Amino acid sequence: MSAPSPTPFEMAEPIDEEEALRWLRATDDPSAQYYAAWWLGRHRSQHPDTLPLLLAAMRQRRARQIGDGVEENAVARNATRAVGKLGPHASEAIPTLLELLDDPDYGLREAAARSLGSLKAKAALPALLARLQSGPDVAGARALDSATLVEPCEALLEAIGDLGISGDEVLGVLESFSTHERPVVQSSACRSLLQLTQEPRWGERLKALLLHPQLQVRRAALMDLGAAGWRPATQAIAATLAENSLKLIALRGLVESAPSDSFDEEIFEVMDGLL
Amino acid sequence: MSVEQLIASVRSADSADALLSAVERLSQAKHPAATTCLLEILGFNNPGAAVAAVDGLIAIGEPAVEPILASLHTNNYGARAWSVRALAGIGDPRGLEVLERALATDVGPSVRRAAASGLGRLDLRSLPEDQVSELVERSLQALLAACGDGEWIVRYAVVVGLEGLARHQGQRVSDLSLAALKRALAGLAVGSDPLFHDVVQRRSALALHRIDNSGGTHG
Repeated sequence: MSAPSPTPFEMAEPIDEEEALRWLRATDDPSAQYYAAWWLGRHRSQHPDTLPLLLAAMRQRRARQIGDGVEENAVARNATRAVGKLGPHASEAIPTLLELLDDPDYGLREAAARSLGSLKAKAALPALLARLQSGPDVAGARALDSATLVEPCEALLEAIGDLGISGDEVLGVLESFSTHERPVVQSSACRSLLQLTQEPRWGERLKALLLHPQLQVRRAALMDLGAAGWRPATQAIAATLAENSLKLIALRGLVESAPSDSFDEEIFEVMDGLL
Repeated sequence: MSVEQLIASVRSADSADALLSAVERLSQAKHPAATTCLLEILGFNNPGAAVAAVDGLIAIGEPAVEPILASLHTNNYGARAWSVRALAGIGDPRGLEVLERALATDVGPSVRRAAASGLGRLDLRSLPEDQVSELVERSLQALLAACGDGEWIVRYAVVVGLEGLARHQGQRVSDLSLAALKRALAGLAVGSDPLFHDVVQRRSALALHRIDNSGGTHG
């Protein structure tokens, strides 16, 4: 998983839900729409107009003009990310998300995969697997014209883990990516394998990645251990050379992965020490 | 190596890695003469070295407080943010005002987080009794005002700060204030979903449990 980066909007002017909806309707102002889509997701808007407007925005397309500094299909990508944050009532968006999983735009496929995972859209499993079926040498090969891979492998692998459905075919695909040449992709595969099998060997692989010489890999492994809630990694997380903020997010994942009927004093003690 | 030599090796470091290990060695010396050099490092926009320098300032402790406070007038936001973290770690009561302001107004969640936990563990042993009560009361009010912070990690740190105040300064907190503190923790411990408790709710429940079972507080 890639580490969360502070969004450029955190310090932007506060707006309210009505205003965000008005901005999202303004199809002649993509930058207002871009912000509005993010805002509605961030605030988990439950307004009856939110979902239909986001669904319309997910279909908006805008070709990249070299040098204009705007992400290709930026509004559609943000709208796609936003529906994943709306919770169960956004299940209406699942058919559209499945369509986007086959979009030619890499960023849209990535956003769609993440949202399908966070909505726990079990119907998406065959489509997610299909995009990875060709394995690390094809789906996981480097794209010809960019630094990305052919498929958004991390997002697809993690979404499969989020769905929580195991089986020989699923595990076979995930395992084939656990030895991918990029350690961050290995991390995503191990995370999902850990979630689906609870086998300690996958947790141990993630723990080993916490010692990787590259900070970016250590950050990914932190987030993935947190998402999988693997408690034997508590002390290893605390000792990782990375920002305390990320370690705290990972440890929160360990705490919240278990029922709350007893106190997690060991994890809390570690967290208190990182404040 | 003498502290002068350690400082010289920080100043002559020619790579990020060399700087980090030189700062780590200087920090381990825990020598007040290192304070100025460690404060300069906070402004380098090198998080690894800054973390090591903050550890060094905390290890120096009391003698570092005045220089840190004097350095806060800089315009470098990054350096000020690290300084707040050093003050929170040292726990000297002269840092109170800076921590109050940081918790209430700083834009960085990691700074508010450090300020909140620092407010719960100020070392007030050197102060006369009447001042202690006033500082405890101010720390408490600052923490109570931050219970609604938008970031979970800041609310988590507020819980830890409140627990620290109740358990270490319990004798100095009035009955009324202790009741307000426990009411705030109880508020943070409940959520809308009966089946799932998030990390802040769980930590608040633990804090209340510890306060009720510590026996160290009056009432």
